[in-house]
Amino acid sequence: MDLDDNKPGTAPTRRRFVTTRRLDRMFVELASVYRFIARFFKEVWFPPYEFKEIIKQCYEIGVRSLPLISLTGFIIGIVFTNQSRPSLAGFGATALLPALISVAIVRAMGPLVTALIAAGRVGSNIGAELGSMRVTEQIDAMEVSATNPFKFLVVSRVLASTFMIPALTMYTTFVSLLGGYLNVHQNELTTLTTFFYQVFDAITFLDIIASSVKSVIFGFTIGMVGCYKGYNSSKGTEGVGKAANSSVVTAMFLIFIEELLIMQIINAIRAV
Amino acid sequence: MSSADNKRTIIVGIFVFLAIVILVAGIFTLAGQQKRLISTISVIAIFDDVAGLKKGNNVWFSGVKIGTIKSIDLYGDAQVKVTMNIEESAQQYIRENSVARISSESFIGNKNIVIEGGTQSAAAIEDGDVITAINPLNTDDLMETLQKNNKNLVAITDDFKVLTSRLVEGEGTIGAILTDTVMADNFRTMVANLQQTSRRTVAASNELSRFTSKLNSPNGLANNIATDTVVYSRLRSSMAELNEATKAAASMMETLETTSKRLNNQNNAAGVLLSDEQFARQLQRTMQNLETSSQKFDQNMEALQSNILFRGFFRKQAKEQEKQQEQLKELLESQPDTTNRQ
Repeated sequence: MDLDDNKPGTAPTRRRFVTTRRLDRMFVELASVYRFIARFFKEVWFPPYEFKEIIKQCYEIGVRSLPLISLTGFIIGIVFTNQSRPSLAGFGATALLPALISVAIVRAMGPLVTALIAAGRVGSNIGAELGSMRVTEQIDAMEVSATNPFKFLVVSRVLASTFMIPALTMYTTFVSLLGGYLNVHQNELTTLTTFFYQVFDAITFLDIIASSVKSVIFGFTIGMVGCYKGYNSSKGTEGVGKAANSSVVTAMFLIFIEELLIMQIINAIRAV
Repeated sequence: MSSADNKRTIIVGIFVFLAIVILVAGIFTLAGQQKRLISTISVIAIFDDVAGLKKGNNVWFSGVKIGTIKSIDLYGDAQVKVTMNIEESAQQYIRENSVARISSESFIGNKNIVIEGGTQSAAAIEDGDVITAINPLNTDDLMETLQKNNKNLVAITDDFKVLTSRLVEGEGTIGAILTDTVMADNFRTMVANLQQTSRRTVAASNELSRFTSKLNSPNGLANNIATDTVVYSRLRSSMAELNEATKAAASMMETLETTSKRLNNQNNAAGVLLSDEQFARQLQRTMQNLETSSQKFDQNMEALQSNILFRGFFRKQAKEQEKQQEQLKELLESQPDTTNRQ
């Protein structure tokens, strides 16, 4: 059904929208997303398992993203430490910098920065790749050649993204802390042992668990959004660009929403 | 599988492995730092107020982290039961009479529990023991005390301000001292005199020091007294004799006192003679009478010599006297001759 059939100026023969055109579109989209996610969970458990494709996607998503994410994480560690120092120096508490850096990076910045950079790089990549396959009818060709395109293209990418983003988060967190240490050592002459002692003194297991859970959810979100947008793209080459762009924007938006929700849940658990 | 695929798989494996290593290293470091991998005992302290202490905060003993807060529960009559996990290795150092105090890692840092005190005579704590809790100093109380101190400080500075202004204006004794130039000169002179006196005192003390050193010299009197046993024994005997003499003198003085008392007493002849004024006057008159009588007697005797009855007696007596004088003169003249012959 085309939702744009009810044109202005023509007398409606019957009610074309359940609510409004926009709301109907949104609900249709939500239903489509739900079906897409449900199909993923349906397909993921049953063979054939596309290990070769999963490894390839892990390489593309994880290993190829490592230099960019490591560099970004390192710079963020330095910049964050440098920017936090005046606030603490105001009341003579620069000794608390390692603890502040630790809490900020482990709890929030590590997973969030990794996810945002991955959303930009990986999300757009997946969206554009699947979108171009859709508009060039390669996916349709796979369907007729008895290959399950969903399993081969979507499941492998979502799994690879879900596995690789947590790994990238570990690297980013570690490298960011090293960047923070470099800055703290330069200014406060703190030793590496003291720095990491204070870093681990400020965090708890709950922080590490929350960070890991968040990065898994972020990875799943990035893969799923990129695949959904690319897999359902249309309107030719224009649709490929829109799919890539939409993948990044939607993934980033959802990452922030998820961060907010997970933070509330973790704080509620911490308070118990 | 092609070699490119194989290489890609290995790289992905290394990548994942390193990520897992970072995660595991972080977990183990955290577990080690939070003492999660070592055996612990539970120790309980009951506080009235835990001042924001949280589960997972540290427990310190002698400045060493020995455990963490396991749980914090409300207990009894609005009290708080704090259960601590303490390393078994620290158990032997914490005594049953140790106390737990809530402290702060820094002025703005986390709260923690500090275990302190305890004597060697008390036994080491055991799992599940309850130790005495010292309630923390409330920040509000601290601020209230500080506020009182501030008010006192303001009052003191106000008083001091008045005092200094009076001093500057030359009021009162100290003000006069500070502003009066004559007094300042006097004070300067006094200080100079004091300096001179102190110099003299120093000189005197030096002299005294020299004197005492001489006394302590091997041949000095004090040294001989202190070290020479012969001198000491003589001194001791002299002192004993002096003591005897003193006793004799005391006895004599006692006798003299008795005698003087008797002399002062008019019941005996000597007393009457010495102290009775009436008797003295009578004696004086008697003596005057005697003198008068003797004068009259001389006159009578002269008159008697002129009397015809006794004139012969007196002449005869005068002749005998002349005769004795001549014999004596002859004897004296003859004695040198005999001496020369001898």
